Amino acid sequence: MSRLGMPTPDNGWPVGSLDPIGRAKVLAATIPSAAFHHGVIDAPYRTVWPWVTDLEHSTPSFDTQVDKVVIHRREVEGDITRLRMTATSHGVPLPFRVRIEDGFCMMRAQARLYLVVMAAVPEDGGERTRFLHMEAIPLPGTGPVRPLIQREVDSDFSNLQRLAESGFPDDRP
Amino acid sequence: MEDLVRAAQRGDPEAMDALVRALMPYVGRVCGAIALDRGDDAVQETFIAVLKSLGALREPAALKGWVRRIAVRESIRVAGGRTVTMDPDTLPLPEVPPADIATSLDIRATLAALAPEQRAILVLRDVDGLSEAEVALAMRVPVGTVKSRAHRARAAFRGRWQP
Repeated sequence: MSRLGMPTPDNGWPVGSLDPIGRAKVLAATIPSAAFHHGVIDAPYRTVWPWVTDLEHSTPSFDTQVDKVVIHRREVEGDITRLRMTATSHGVPLPFRVRIEDGFCMMRAQARLYLVVMAAVPEDGGERTRFLHMEAIPLPGTGPVRPLIQREVDSDFSNLQRLAESGFPDDRP
Repeated sequence: MEDLVRAAQRGDPEAMDALVRALMPYVGRVCGAIALDRGDDAVQETFIAVLKSLGALREPAALKGWVRRIAVRESIRVAGGRTVTMDPDTLPLPEVPPADIATSLDIRATLAALAPEQRAILVLRDVDGLSEAEVALAMRVPVGTVKSRAHRARAAFRGRWQP
């Protein structure tokens, strides 16, 4: 490969990467209605990520717009989990397709009516969690609703922080 | 890949993310070698630029070359390099103290002694294996410029790598 006999990227050349937060920021920067909140949650990654990706339980706890989440199908392929689920908001059920990886979760509603992305990486050696929560309506012409979505994601992030501070109590009915 | 590009052009977020994942190894290699410590920033800026302007890509088969041009441009910009249209003969070869040459088995240190534009030449021509014409297209410079710049970059790299 190298005419100079130089090393390949696999054996010493610097290689750039995109962590889950960066990956989410790329989407946030390119979907017009996308709003996100990015910050640090004062709880270990090993606690935060499993909790938030237990979507049936976590989503109604921190997202006040969601009444209920029901998972209909779960497929695990290596490090990727794919779900089919229904999230009910204000009494209206909306089917979602979900992809979960370590540190990255994308939930896309049927007909692209809504998009939720959660991304996380360990912070401070894993004792805290850098977290990004993004929501959008990924349809043309929806850019003007971004301020409304921003309020929602800010609220969701605050709720998540509060729940983390109290150790993610299981106060489900 | 063509279906993925078309879906991403329509704004499908799953396709956009899948396209990022598919291009990640290549973009990471180009950006890392040119932008070095700011390689991750260059990767992020490259993908933002790619997705924002994806609608302008008429022929999905041309995706890799199109992405390559963006990755080179963003990497040089993030690394603080000059524009890629400058006269290559004005590119200085950085002075490297003898002590550094003696320890230049560190690839990163060797690359860091070159200008971002020189690193771009090395990556595209000698690691990516592009022809001079393809490098010229990626860097938006004449082929003759690529030849002279590649010669200087190789000489600089070889001198530091094999003192």
